[in-house]
Amino acid sequence: MTAALLDRVATSAERLRSHGTRLSPSLAAAAFVLVVVGTNLPWATFSGFPGLMSLALYPAGSRIYVLALAPALALVAVRFSRRRQAGLAATLALLAVVVQTIIAIARDGGGLVNVSVGAWVTLLGALLGVAAFVALPDDGAPLPRSWPVLPALVEALAVVFAVAASLALLVYALDVEAPSQFVGFLLALGGGLVALNRLGLFEWLGALYARRQALTLVLMAAAAVTFPFTQGGSSYWLRVAANVGVFAAAAIGLNVVVGLAGLLDLGYIAFFGVGAYVAALYGNAGLGPSRGHLPFLAVIVLGALVSGLVGVLIGAPTLRLRGDYLAIVTLGFGEIFHTLVNTYDAYTGGPNGLSNIPDLRQGSFDFGLPHTVFGVELAGFANYYYLELVLVALVMFVFARLNASRIGRAWVAIREDELAASAMGINTVSYKLLAFGIGATLAGASGTVQAHVATQVSPDSFVFLQSVFLLAAVVLGGMGTVPGAVVGAAILIAVPEKLRAFSDYRLLLFGLLLVILMRFRPEGMIPSRRRQREFHDADGADALSAPPGSAVA
Amino acid sequence: MPLLEAQGVTKRFGGLQAVSHVDLTVEEGEIVGVIGPNGAGKTTFFNCLTGMETPTSGRITFRGAPLPSRPDRVTVAGVARTFQNIRLFHNMTVLENVLVGRHTRNRTGVLAAIGRGPRYRREERDALDTARELLQFVGLSPLAEHLAKNLNYGDQRRLEIARALATDPGLLLLDEPTAGMNPNETAAAVDLVRAVQARGVSVVLIEHDMRFVFGLCDRVAVLVQGEKLVEGTPQEVQSDERVIAAYLGRP
Amino acid sequence: MQQFFQQLSDGLVLGALYALIALGYTMVYGIVQLINFAHGEIFMVGAFGGYTLYHYVLPSSLPSGIALLLVLLVAMLTSALLAAFVERVAYRPLRNAPRLAPLITAIGVSIALQESIRLFYPNGSVGKPFPQLFPRGTVDLGGVTLTYVDLFVISLALVLMLTLRTFVFRSATGRAMRATAQDPDTARLMGVDTDRIIVITFVLGGLLAGAAGVLQGMIASPIDFKIGFIAGLKAFTAAVLGGIGNITGAVLGGFTLGIVEALATQYVPNGSALKDSFAFVVLVLVLVFRPTGLLGESVRSRA
Repeated sequence: MTAALLDRVATSAERLRSHGTRLSPSLAAAAFVLVVVGTNLPWATFSGFPGLMSLALYPAGSRIYVLALAPALALVAVRFSRRRQAGLAATLALLAVVVQTIIAIARDGGGLVNVSVGAWVTLLGALLGVAAFVALPDDGAPLPRSWPVLPALVEALAVVFAVAASLALLVYALDVEAPSQFVGFLLALGGGLVALNRLGLFEWLGALYARRQALTLVLMAAAAVTFPFTQGGSSYWLRVAANVGVFAAAAIGLNVVVGLAGLLDLGYIAFFGVGAYVAALYGNAGLGPSRGHLPFLAVIVLGALVSGLVGVLIGAPTLRLRGDYLAIVTLGFGEIFHTLVNTYDAYTGGPNGLSNIPDLRQGSFDFGLPHTVFGVELAGFANYYYLELVLVALVMFVFARLNASRIGRAWVAIREDELAASAMGINTVSYKLLAFGIGATLAGASGTVQAHVATQVSPDSFVFLQSVFLLAAVVLGGMGTVPGAVVGAAILIAVPEKLRAFSDYRLLLFGLLLVILMRFRPEGMIPSRRRQREFHDADGADALSAPPGSAVA
Repeated sequence: MPLLEAQGVTKRFGGLQAVSHVDLTVEEGEIVGVIGPNGAGKTTFFNCLTGMETPTSGRITFRGAPLPSRPDRVTVAGVARTFQNIRLFHNMTVLENVLVGRHTRNRTGVLAAIGRGPRYRREERDALDTARELLQFVGLSPLAEHLAKNLNYGDQRRLEIARALATDPGLLLLDEPTAGMNPNETAAAVDLVRAVQARGVSVVLIEHDMRFVFGLCDRVAVLVQGEKLVEGTPQEVQSDERVIAAYLGRP
Repeated sequence: MQQFFQQLSDGLVLGALYALIALGYTMVYGIVQLINFAHGEIFMVGAFGGYTLYHYVLPSSLPSGIALLLVLLVAMLTSALLAAFVERVAYRPLRNAPRLAPLITAIGVSIALQESIRLFYPNGSVGKPFPQLFPRGTVDLGGVTLTYVDLFVISLALVLMLTLRTFVFRSATGRAMRATAQDPDTARLMGVDTDRIIVITFVLGGLLAGAAGVLQGMIASPIDFKIGFIAGLKAFTAAVLGGIGNITGAVLGGFTLGIVEALATQYVPNGSALKDSFAFVVLVLVLVFRPTGLLGESVRSRA
């Protein structure tokens, strides 16, 4: 029964495709008209649904996202483009936004009767749109591998535009209040990004970045510095951003271990914990046995050193193990750290941890207080945000420099083939230990800041799940790349913050994310060129375009 | 003083005597072949010479000093090798593969790599120069930016040799360098090994291809069932009845 | 002395449980070289399967012997099906991916399964009292007290392990399994359907894990969505201790670990607070000093 039905669908899709070239533009045109009309009609019969959904001729809320994806249809309608893969991604996302919004309206309004005509018209348009792209024949020839080199000024403008657009998108996203609308936004954004990626935009941007590295870095730094000024004195997102910074710095450290040296460390959070406890015990909280206070810079260095030392002590006996054994042993050490801190509570506070860690002070500068810069008041967390920015920049710098050196090459060689690496004269054990120690050092440094940002440390912040969280940030962003870990950490921290309404499902989604990621995009969002080739066997003639020794792999 | 001297090298795995009491001497500038039927212990003997296995007993010296017992130290000492089943760093470029070979000859540490001081820059430049020169030498310059795994078989073998030469070896051990090659590629391999010799690097090679070995080597040793049966010039070995018997079976 | 023997026998009971779960790890690792991180959750879901049957399906008038049998069967089937499902959906597509990929996937599966039970099982965040279907009572063996349940746990575990051994070493499928473990490519050339063998391996591991789930419920009620994590790690430790890939080793490792844990809890100061750490200490020590485990053969690196 079902099989027969599926067969039928398959044959009609086949037939559709054989007429596709002729049929698609008309289908797409109809779909485009329906979508435009539909988004200008009311979607809900009741007022109060986010995005003024009951108003006509006012496409706000999720309707904007639908409209933003509609150009994909228009391009096919006017026979400008026939990119099936990209178009399919865009229209499927469009359909998903419509369906998700209809469900949300029906849920809020108490039934499908409260979904108004505009939504149904748009849904019909979305379905036609998907059909239009299904009907197209396959893409045929791939996009040109090498994008043209444009005049310097044009390229520079493109970089400026890309960075500005990212910042604007970020600020907009943080401003979307309603969870249902935010889900719509994520769906549209995801679909849009996949579509643009399939058009080769990001490959081009990557190449552009390689050519205009200095400019891009300056602009990104400028965008990051500007961010607190967009927050109107509110501290909410600055606190989140400071947290992103803390975890990003740690994630980059983990990226040295996992992404470069290929060692899976599942107890990495323990090093972070060591740093946090060092800060709580010897920082200005002075909770340690000596009740002493160290200046903050000394605390960062101390936390980093102690953590690095622990890393080396743990690594020395275990790094001879094969990869997956190592993973489990590190997990074991992570759990042992947790148990020890929990059990021996003379100084650690046991399960309650240590709380009331005061804000940082440097001279007369109190990190907890708001400050006014250029006439704009910045909330207290802006100070931590900027501190983190410096730390992350520093860590990124270290990562990039190591990656591009003899040391980075040795790590990658070990990851690729340990025996061959040793035949090249690389002392594999000591290089693995070095990666492990550097990872632990960076985690310890960011842990010291974490203690102040969170104002407390407790053993339950340093459990296996947190290690997996950092690992997920690395994997999601892209193993072995500099910006990858930052992007991964940002997404994994900011998105759940927006989706508090679904916070109960956070871990479930997180687990599924790992599975889906490994299945469909194991190289992450910002893949290192190397990794991308590793996961997707490319065919013969693909020279890497970046010159060797460029800072970013 | 011979370059490499192995005396009474024996390797046992449990009850199995894979190599027993093998002596081998390599003089500066020589090409020496080690042949023998499958399972004769050639690769195990090779592994002993490269620190990948520790001999159960016996003595190996290189340039008069005892050979270290770890592969990376052996390479540092000046013995490089290739593998029977090619082991390149597949997802690195051809050039990067050779650069990894320069590893031991440079000293850049963590701080120097982060700070990019004059030493780092000098060493990176030297490494790049050497690597480019070696790629030129083996004829892979046009493919420098390709991924190693995308090279064809013969080129992968060449790359492995370039990578090994990048470690500045005094002695290069080739484990079946012509396995899987067609006659044209084999002929090119003969030239390449000669060219390696001309660079002042001695070569020991394990091979199955008799014609290749006898046409190329100054001296040939025959291993059978873990023991050295004969050693001598290609002519001597070719006409030795024991060798013929070992290969063709006793009548 | 008496206390020592009491701890020893408690350790045997614990060890039987670890051994059953460890077998799943060791078989899967032997065949596909994957640490099936989600195996602990497969064990946990099995326990929930058995609980569901008893709580929602079986009439309360059913004699407890029959009920126990049915609970056991359903738990084993639940775990086996789940294991096969996970293999098919999550691991098989990654068969040729770089090594880290399936391990990260396994972690994801493990988290997703835990959370699925917590969120979607009726009142899933709360522990469930496992039905006690076995007659209560104790036997006194020279001062050492064992409950009937203890004896049942040990004997059922032994029976299952012997059955598995017979299957693996006597049946044609078992031979195919061992061949695949030795060399999958050659096995395929010899006509072994390795995909099928891999599924069977997961199913066998699942069956044992499901049984272990019921036994866990019997000796340590209530069950909740978290029991799989620690149990899984300990069982993995047991598998490594015995020499991973080695079936006899897993059993030996399981019992050794159970006994070590029971003794250490008693005799190490602050032992009960540190209870869950002993396994990790054992794991680290074994891997550092004898990475091949108690029965593992030394594996030569492929040169």
